[in-house]
Amino acid sequence: MIELKNDSLVFSFPEVHPKARLRIDFQRTLRIPDDGRDHFLPPGLGNFPIRHVDDFNGRVPYDWIEHGGVMLPMHQAEAMWLNFDSGYIPEHETSYPFAVKIAAGKIDAVTGENWTNGLHGLPQDYMVVPEQPWLDGFCIEKGTIRQFVAMPLGEGYTAEEQISGKAEHGGLQIIVYPMKREVFERRFPKVERKRDRMEHMTMSKMIMPCMADMDADMGLAPGGRMKQEICEDPYGYEDWDRKTRSRCFVHLANSIMWRAITGEAPPTIPPTARQYTSAGLPWYDYYDADAVALEGSEILDDLKSVIQMGYEKGEYPLPENEPARPKRVIRLRKGLERNQVREGSF
Amino acid sequence: MMKIFGDYIRKRREELRTLDREFSVRKVAARLGVQPSYLSKIERGEQAPPTEAKIRALAEILGEDTDVLLALAGKVSSDLQEVIVRRPQLFAQLIRQLKDMPDHAVLKVVREVRDGSW
Repeated sequence: MIELKNDSLVFSFPEVHPKARLRIDFQRTLRIPDDGRDHFLPPGLGNFPIRHVDDFNGRVPYDWIEHGGVMLPMHQAEAMWLNFDSGYIPEHETSYPFAVKIAAGKIDAVTGENWTNGLHGLPQDYMVVPEQPWLDGFCIEKGTIRQFVAMPLGEGYTAEEQISGKAEHGGLQIIVYPMKREVFERRFPKVERKRDRMEHMTMSKMIMPCMADMDADMGLAPGGRMKQEICEDPYGYEDWDRKTRSRCFVHLANSIMWRAITGEAPPTIPPTARQYTSAGLPWYDYYDADAVALEGSEILDDLKSVIQMGYEKGEYPLPENEPARPKRVIRLRKGLERNQVREGSF
Repeated sequence: MMKIFGDYIRKRREELRTLDREFSVRKVAARLGVQPSYLSKIERGEQAPPTEAKIRALAEILGEDTDVLLALAGKVSSDLQEVIVRRPQLFAQLIRQLKDMPDHAVLKVVREVRDGSW
């Protein structure tokens, strides 16, 4: 089942294991420059507000009600990353593992293939949590992604439109599969509880204050390049409980539409990369010595970034795309340091 | 009730013991702070289920849901008792109305994010 708690989606599988719970939240962030360079990870600027689409029946497009799920507001000037947290189970000294598939406009963010509900091992079309702490964009090559940035659906910029030629779905699609209980208990047997165990720290986020475009919904387009590895499944395809799954459609509303639907003000526009960097605030780099990165998708590598597409169309979709040279980069290592966070304030 | 509770925890403990010897009756009893013979009698349904605190500890050791074990033992956790005591008529009525409803209907009381057709 999926619940909406404090602007996070909580996937739980009590029928598999009482601790099989995965929280996914959607972090607001700035757009990294779309200048052909590889950038570090931008900060989390707080969660996007999320609402059930069913609560606004009659005010949202009919197909949103048909899809079910939730909605959130996005400015064209901002970007998004997904934060995964499956909690820590002290008696097993690990987090419960999940296979997570993410698509934008029903285009798989790891392979670039069309959406299917099933998991596929060859090529791997999913991520493994907790090994993958977050996802910032489309996996275009080994160790590099293109940032998820919001663009209006129907203008040809989104990954969905570039690959399928249609502006049909928009939004984000998520499906989660838990590890089989017997596999979890075999791989991570219970251990005697020790006192003074180092407290598990989630790769967390922070809240920042909050802003506003019109046409129907938004889709995610490939933005600037960023260093991020998508980890190869360290377990095995057979380890996932493929009979048990939960999925959610996340609709993206532009700011004006959000206000019209909900009556609520959307969050404020985030700073540009240059403003953020000039203020001396940090960027992030993540290092996991054990992880093996997937090669990346040729389909996704062929996508044009928003700036490239804009040049071809004779448009200038990102007026603030100035380069930024980070002076402070915080390196985060997997599971070793207390207070590992990826947060910013401005 | 004693038999259902006993059968359930024995089955679960035996499953875990096939993976890890730490789940023998003796070892689990030691971690629980009881005599092995006492735990063995509970598992055979010859002894009433232990206190809420021991059931909570047992749920932790076996990786089970505390509320499920308490219910199998015929108990209601103290935090739920407090909730019910504050508005006894309302919760008694609610539980009676929910008692014959299928799981999916009961789960709607806990608000889920609805999946549709896409």
